[in-house]
Amino acid sequence: MFKPMLRGSACALKAVSVRAAFRPVAAASFVSPIRFYSSSLNKDEISSRVIDVVKSFDKTTASASITNDTHFAKDLGLDSLDTVELLVAIEEEFDIEIPDKVADEIKSVGEAVKYIESNPEAN
Amino acid sequence: MSASPGPSRAQVLALYKQFIKNANGFNNYNYREYFLRKARTTFRKNRALEDPATISAAWDTALKDLGVLKRQSVISQMYTFDKQVVEPLDPKHHSRG
Repeated sequence: MFKPMLRGSACALKAVSVRAAFRPVAAASFVSPIRFYSSSLNKDEISSRVIDVVKSFDKTTASASITNDTHFAKDLGLDSLDTVELLVAIEEEFDIEIPDKVADEIKSVGEAVKYIESNPEAN
Repeated sequence: MSASPGPSRAQVLALYKQFIKNANGFNNYNYREYFLRKARTTFRKNRALEDPATISAAWDTALKDLGVLKRQSVISQMYTFDKQVVEPLDPKHHSRG
């Protein structure tokens, strides 16, 4: 009475084990071995986003056209405290943390873009 | 009085950054704007200080205030607040539609 059942389950077991044996192979053919840590940003995208942040910053005069050469202090009239605030806004836009020593050196839109480009965590 | 030399320019800027970052952490619009405003005006008001004793007193006060700000900012994140109508719904990327 139990024999056919037993045979049936053995058969099922075999089928499962066969499937299990095949699965990793099948999976491996679908999953590419490359891991994507972040979408890489290109320079134009970074600079347009930085420029957007600078434009939406309260103290910048809206009429001033902002390019990569725009200097925070000379062209936008920001003092050191304003610059710190602007860099915090940029940090938040790109989800990064700019160390104080580096932040001291960033004085223009172009320099900010260059730093973000070199930071792998920016997104 | 404490004989410690006054804080350097870089230290003050770093402190200001801490103030701005922690103030930005507030969920509640009113508190957030208040602390941003307060940080801006206080640092601007104290920028011309010359007397070392006054400077170190201001520095000590600022450190104490930063402690309060940090604590309250974290506490504020434990509660939810409705957004005010003046706030953009997504503060990030608001300028890019």
